[in-house]
Amino acid sequence: MATVLKAGARFKSAVCDTQVMVVKAPPGEHQLGCGGVDMLGGTATAPEGVSLAATLSGGTLIGKRYVNEDESLELLCTKGGQGTLTLNGTALDVKQAKQLPSSD
Amino acid sequence: MGAAPPLSDVDERTTARRYAEQLLALHGIADARLDIVDRHPAVIAADCGLIELSGAADAAPLLCPAPIAACADGAMAALIAMAPQGQWRDAPSGAQRLTERAALLGLQRRGAVSANGSCRLLATADGVIAINLARDDDHALLPAWLQADHVIADELPQLVATRAADDLVEQGRELGLAVARADRRPPALPWPSPMVPPLRLAARQAPRVVDLSSLWAGPLCSHLLQRCGADVIKVESTQRPDGARAGSPAFFEHLHAGKASLKLNFRNAEGRAALLALLQGADIVIEASRPRALRQLGIDADALIAADPGKTWISITGYGRREPQAQWIAYGDDAAVAAGLSHCLHQATGQWAFVGDAIADPLTGLHAAIAAWAGHQRGGGGLIDIAMVDVVRQCLDFGCGPAMCASAQRLQHWQQVLREPRA
Repeated sequence: MATVLKAGARFKSAVCDTQVMVVKAPPGEHQLGCGGVDMLGGTATAPEGVSLAATLSGGTLIGKRYVNEDESLELLCTKGGQGTLTLNGTALDVKQAKQLPSSD
Repeated sequence: MGAAPPLSDVDERTTARRYAEQLLALHGIADARLDIVDRHPAVIAADCGLIELSGAADAAPLLCPAPIAACADGAMAALIAMAPQGQWRDAPSGAQRLTERAALLGLQRRGAVSANGSCRLLATADGVIAINLARDDDHALLPAWLQADHVIADELPQLVATRAADDLVEQGRELGLAVARADRRPPALPWPSPMVPPLRLAARQAPRVVDLSSLWAGPLCSHLLQRCGADVIKVESTQRPDGARAGSPAFFEHLHAGKASLKLNFRNAEGRAALLALLQGADIVIEASRPRALRQLGIDADALIAADPGKTWISITGYGRREPQAQWIAYGDDAAVAAGLSHCLHQATGQWAFVGDAIADPLTGLHAAIAAWAGHQRGGGGLIDIAMVDVVRQCLDFGCGPAMCASAQRLQHWQQVLREPRA
């Protein structure tokens, strides 16, 4: 199901432990998936009979950020899991770590 | 609750000495000779420039009645006593370590903005928080933090004014932002039990230190160990070198002169194997990353220590290695705020401001060096969990209990001491 993605919104996987927060998102409605199944927003619960797709089981790591090709979407993984994150069916990539500050 | 009775002047003048003795006792060291000239904590804070670094830019500096500078002097004296053969000629005092970056860079007090400009104290609907946007990239997280479309840092006071402090802290931490409540004094930390058996100081072969840390606390720790007699190699990732390289060259050189330096590609197996070999061969490891960062590189501190009980592993974090705190990040300014230092200043003066320049960083560097050297002297200290917030808490607890911050009588006494002529 396509949904509007807003910065700060949280989603969880329907088929694994993955949880994410939206850091930034392109306008309009999009299909956010994990492990081949739509991710769940708010208090939604997983539909029955869904399972992790073997071809989308690359896994997520807590603390990593995931982006689409033009980096218009950026998700922060707040809990790791087994599924691969997708936007409109296309797998997301890990964004490289933030550069360290020059002063603290 | 009544005002705490002020300590007598004589008692307060021995703060640095008593703190040093307590640190030495903690490490089971009974035979060290301390070289300390007793001075009032207010005088130590004034002379090192710490008071000048607290308060609004356009007003008189604010006196924070917490003996942080005296504790720093005590920590430095304890380290020197533990390594009497070290290179201590012309070494800055502990208190001078707190202010040396500001002195080198010309940083000045900016009230509710940190001296380096990246951290702010902000009033929310129900409390005061500190947020440190130290990395350029942190600004990109602001829309997610505040669940707003476009956010620029200058609008933060208006945007957070209507929100609950705890929600902002929780959401910020989840995003990996350095954020903390400013308006709370954490409970007193139990002082750890002394190490047993007692430690007799002995000349040992110069330890090999591998320093993976960056910025200030960790590099100061390895710099101090170098003065103790250690050989230090600084190891950086080619992709993410120490951010301080992009900062003041003078300050970087100040902390890194004489250290060997090596950059490794942590993204390929060869680089990670070289890193592992260096860590296996180290007597002392210093690192200041979240525990998960090294785990994700395949580095398991516990396994490396189990394989070499002679190793001392210094883990510097904001809030310690336990969950969930292990996931939270902190820099020197927000860590001091989280420890209750700005709360103490507010109780004493009614104003919200930072105390010093990223003060938790140099204070942690001093304490980490003591822990590392003592651990090595003991024949291996294992994994030592040093939380920046707890280091500041320990110093606050030592000489400034919650009632003391609020004691007008004590503040007047400190001010009186500063008005007296000094030698």
